[in-house]
Amino acid sequence: MERNTKSIDESIVVKEIDLGDEQKTERMPRRYQRRRQGQFVPDYIDWKDVDFLKRFVPERAKIMPRRISGISAKDQRRIARAIKRARTMALLPFVTD
Amino acid sequence: MAVKRTYEVMYIGTPETSDDDITKLNEAIEKMITDDGGSIVKTEAMGRRKLAYPINKKTEGHYTLFEIEGSGQEIAELERRMRVNDTIMRYMTVRVDEERKTAEKHRSKREDRQNKRKSFAGGNESRETTAGDNAPENQ
Repeated sequence: MERNTKSIDESIVVKEIDLGDEQKTERMPRRYQRRRQGQFVPDYIDWKDVDFLKRFVPERAKIMPRRISGISAKDQRRIARAIKRARTMALLPFVTD
Repeated sequence: MAVKRTYEVMYIGTPETSDDDITKLNEAIEKMITDDGGSIVKTEAMGRRKLAYPINKKTEGHYTLFEIEGSGQEIAELERRMRVNDTIMRYMTVRVDEERKTAEKHRSKREDRQNKRKSFAGGNESRETTAGDNAPENQ
């Protein structure tokens, strides 16, 4: 009896793993870089401080989303505004290819 | 002039203009602002800089930054003049006093909190003595 149930359990487990692997390739959302913890955001964000703003602008020059930058919504808004101002004055690019 | 506001005005001059012309233009702008009742906090010629993307098929530009205090009337006049100036490719005005004020508020609040924490940690002994004073009364 015990052996029987064990084998059944094992078979079930194996099946589950197989299914999971299949689903992983199709359904799993793309893995992003882990949240960057402990980002320091100053009280006053200077829109001219290009070196600081570049930390939130990856290679494609898009504004880094909050789920990756890991900063508060308020700070994200302030940084986004600063980046947009810097873009207007050609301090930061709109696009890069 | 009831309200005093602080603005940052930045403009990009065409790369063809000489440095002398840029300084002349900056002086003219400063004079214009002071004539209109504003005051120049600082002028910063940032020099030639590469643009992050081409503007009017130019890849470089002369950057200049002003910090101006005033009512806003002179900013309107300045922008009107900059719009028609051919040597200025782009300009932008940002009002900064409010953001600076909130930043200052946050900073002082944080300092207050830290000071409170410090006094709390340091005030442990005094708290114990007061507790000791209370204890005999209860007895």
